[in-house]
Amino acid sequence: MSSIREFSKREKPEDYYLRLVEELKKLNNSLNAFSVINEGLSSGMPFSVKDNICVEGIETTASSKVLKGYIPPFSATAVERMLASGFGFLGKTNMDEFGFGTFGLNSEKEARNPFDEKYVAGGSSSGAAIATSILRYHIAIAESTGGSIAAPAAFCGVVGFTPTYGVVSRYGLIDYANSLDKIGIVARSAEDIEETLEIIKGRDRYDTTCTGRALGREPRKRIFIIKELMEGVDESIKSHFTGFAERLKGMGYAVEERSVSGMEKAIAAYYVIAMAEASTNLAKYTGYKYGLKNEKYSEHYNEFFTNAREHFGIEAKRRIILGTFIRSASVRDRYYYKALRLRAELLARMEPLLEEGFVLAPVMPIKVPKIDEAKGLSPLEMYKADMLTIPPNLAGLPHVSFPYAYIGGMPLGAQLMTSHFNDYSILGVVKEWERVFTYRFRYNIGSL
Amino acid sequence: MDENEFERLLAICRIRLSEKEKPLIKNDIEEVLEYFNMLDSVDAKGRVAYQPVEVEGVMRDDNVEAFGNVAGMLKNAKTFRFYVVGPKI
Amino acid sequence: MKIGLEVHVALPTKSKLFCRCSADASEEPNTAICPICMGFPGSKPMLNREAVRMALSIARALGCKTPSNISFLRKIYFYPDLPKSFQITQLEEAVGREGLVEYKERGVRIRRVQIEEDPAKIVRGDEYTLLDFNRSGVPLVEIVTEPDISGEDDLRDFMTELRSILYYLGVDIERELKVDLNISLAEQRVEVKNITGIKNIADAAHYEIERQEGLIREHRAIAAETRSYNEEKMSTVQSREKESNEEYGFIYEPDLATYDVSDIVPEDPVYATRIADSYAKGFHANAQQIREAILFNRDTLRLIDASKDSNEMRIVMNGIAILQRHKALDIEEGEFLRLLELLRNGTEIDAGIIRRLRLGEEININMRANLDELDDEIRKTIENEGALIEEYKSNKKVFNFLVGKIAKKYKASPRYVSERLRLILEGEEKGHRAL
Repeated sequence: MSSIREFSKREKPEDYYLRLVEELKKLNNSLNAFSVINEGLSSGMPFSVKDNICVEGIETTASSKVLKGYIPPFSATAVERMLASGFGFLGKTNMDEFGFGTFGLNSEKEARNPFDEKYVAGGSSSGAAIATSILRYHIAIAESTGGSIAAPAAFCGVVGFTPTYGVVSRYGLIDYANSLDKIGIVARSAEDIEETLEIIKGRDRYDTTCTGRALGREPRKRIFIIKELMEGVDESIKSHFTGFAERLKGMGYAVEERSVSGMEKAIAAYYVIAMAEASTNLAKYTGYKYGLKNEKYSEHYNEFFTNAREHFGIEAKRRIILGTFIRSASVRDRYYYKALRLRAELLARMEPLLEEGFVLAPVMPIKVPKIDEAKGLSPLEMYKADMLTIPPNLAGLPHVSFPYAYIGGMPLGAQLMTSHFNDYSILGVVKEWERVFTYRFRYNIGSL
Repeated sequence: MDENEFERLLAICRIRLSEKEKPLIKNDIEEVLEYFNMLDSVDAKGRVAYQPVEVEGVMRDDNVEAFGNVAGMLKNAKTFRFYVVGPKI
Repeated sequence: MKIGLEVHVALPTKSKLFCRCSADASEEPNTAICPICMGFPGSKPMLNREAVRMALSIARALGCKTPSNISFLRKIYFYPDLPKSFQITQLEEAVGREGLVEYKERGVRIRRVQIEEDPAKIVRGDEYTLLDFNRSGVPLVEIVTEPDISGEDDLRDFMTELRSILYYLGVDIERELKVDLNISLAEQRVEVKNITGIKNIADAAHYEIERQEGLIREHRAIAAETRSYNEEKMSTVQSREKESNEEYGFIYEPDLATYDVSDIVPEDPVYATRIADSYAKGFHANAQQIREAILFNRDTLRLIDASKDSNEMRIVMNGIAILQRHKALDIEEGEFLRLLELLRNGTEIDAGIIRRLRLGEEININMRANLDELDDEIRKTIENEGALIEEYKSNKKVFNFLVGKIAKKYKASPRYVSERLRLILEGEEKGHRAL
């Protein structure tokens, strides 16, 4: 039984929500999962919302200082649908500023791993993954652009699902890169995810790119491991991953290695598109319409805007500058259009493969790093850490990240991807896996 | 990218960096741009995927529908009479 | 001399280009706004089909090739009136390209017709600006011409032609008009921006042409630059453009789609100038007069169309002039034909008669079409009133008394009677239909 149905059936003590909030607030002080906790929650299965998704009347900042004080006058479609289905809004979850980060460190409050606070939680949906890992009954509405759901889900040992691009409305999502952004779900089981997806998916009159297409459940007998993806994977992980593949064989899947050329260019193509689009999305933050305001209206607008935009974090500034450069007319063909072409090429190569079988890969090429280790990485090294999550995100493919092993007490995550709109099929595989493998959680706040 | 080009770039995106940050960020950017050069070998005549899936271009009918929370919107800005206050031009 | 234009006009849709707010920007400031047209984070554009249809109609009327697919771009620049700091516009996959506008036996090529969103209205203050986002997101069409306009007169003619074509597609150029001018007398191209309203285009062009001529006379160089038009001073001043073409950083608008527009049926164009010319030719009438009457008036065109079989263009034009004076051009075609009949009979058309025509009342005019009878009556009166007649030359009252007497008896137009009376008295007996 899904925890959603279980929760609705179980008797709850009168002070259930009060105690839940109290315990959560205490633990949140050390893990920084939530940026806002709704202390008035009094009914419904708790759900959290990543801080780049608007909830009417609740401060929404995408972890950015430039949006401090922004109170959205409307809720995201996904949020509206959750509320309409009886879920209770628990709070806004922490994230890397505007989604710019792999480790959850580009935030005023660093996200910490619930298994060990010295370790990163992963990003950018860091809070969503931590919250899921510490709350017994809870669903997280999160968002992924290049791996922002899969990465923290893997590091925090929970299930993270990113649907096909366009399946869930982006209305109310504070844009990072519009052609890559997907609202998705983090939960403790594939079943919870499936039930939540049923609620939030579907056409929306406020998002042109959102489709009402039916989602498939087509099973595949074969599972492919892409050679090019495995090349950059840390040796310490490879043996565990191979062991996992063996277990899948035992479950009746044929596991085969395949090669997809062009894969090695996916990171570059992804970051070109992401930064080009992000630098346009971030242009609107100029300090007078919403968010943190520059009160000196008598400054000439250029000065005024530049002063207001000083409050972006350094990674945001880096991406704005890079994105602006690669959009310049004289280099646009060389970067932007080439990246869009590579995306088309990669799609053309992946599609036939995905008709035959699922693709399986580790989520991260490294073990969960300590916070200090992650801080020492250069921007390019950090971008390269996304090498395994970028291909499905660049191609808008549905993918699910789930724990398959634990080393040194820390979880390891694998991801399965499938063809566009065949979203339910991979959740089916994870359900099978969950019958033979038990996920570990250090906290179970709100148990009944 | 020379100093002038970099300064112009900063001006275009209305981003100010401290003197200490400038060489560091410039260096990061150059490193990343060099990495992006691997895209040079992508076929220049290939199809372009603006979005990863085909988006059906549905247009809406020309009907007026007022937004229900204009007051909530304007609370986010500084207003004077009915106007939103902005910087000098 | 080469002049090229970029003309921006607002499309008369009910709702805005990308949101459902009213496109009537005249409401109280910041009342017709929503997260989309104010660029709030999380909002997404939804394209208005009617705006696309109108834009396609314009593109086709301007002789453009219209594509089967259109898409949009983001053009990034910073200014307080631009809520997202980028404008959603078009370039490669615009609604129209390579058109031609023909008028007075010449033509101006159209490079492109594109759809884009209007920025907010900005009120300049000394220490701040005030912004009204009602206008933000109103659909605009930008028409880009090749530099084919040869001078000030040609510019005026082209604008008249363009305005007329747009008028017949339901687009009132006076509602909102923003124009950028490219003028080159020599090699260097000068761009004049921020011209609003139809009158200012001619003024700005005039100033800029004189300025460049002055520089040429003095053998000074003309700088390739962007200038902006100052309406109060009626002059152009150099303006420092913040972003150049290199720096707009266009990218595909990823929140929208590539739209198949092949099933959209555009409006049929009306070329009033050509119609006026053909009527003028067919009826040996004054083309200029017909043109002026119909260029910006679909009622006039409708009435002329309805009465073109009458073969008396002068009476038709007279009828139109009368209706124009009485602001009654919306009269129905059948009523207009009856009005022409009355005119032919020499009836004085006043507000009362127009009202009665529109009420469908029968208007009885005893004298009918027999104007010779009227002349006979005038002669008879002259004979009978012999004593009075001698006085008419010195006493205007006597003349008017006679006119009144005849007009009353025959329910005829006093103006017509007085004309005839004077002619007959003076022994002139020709052209009794001259009014």
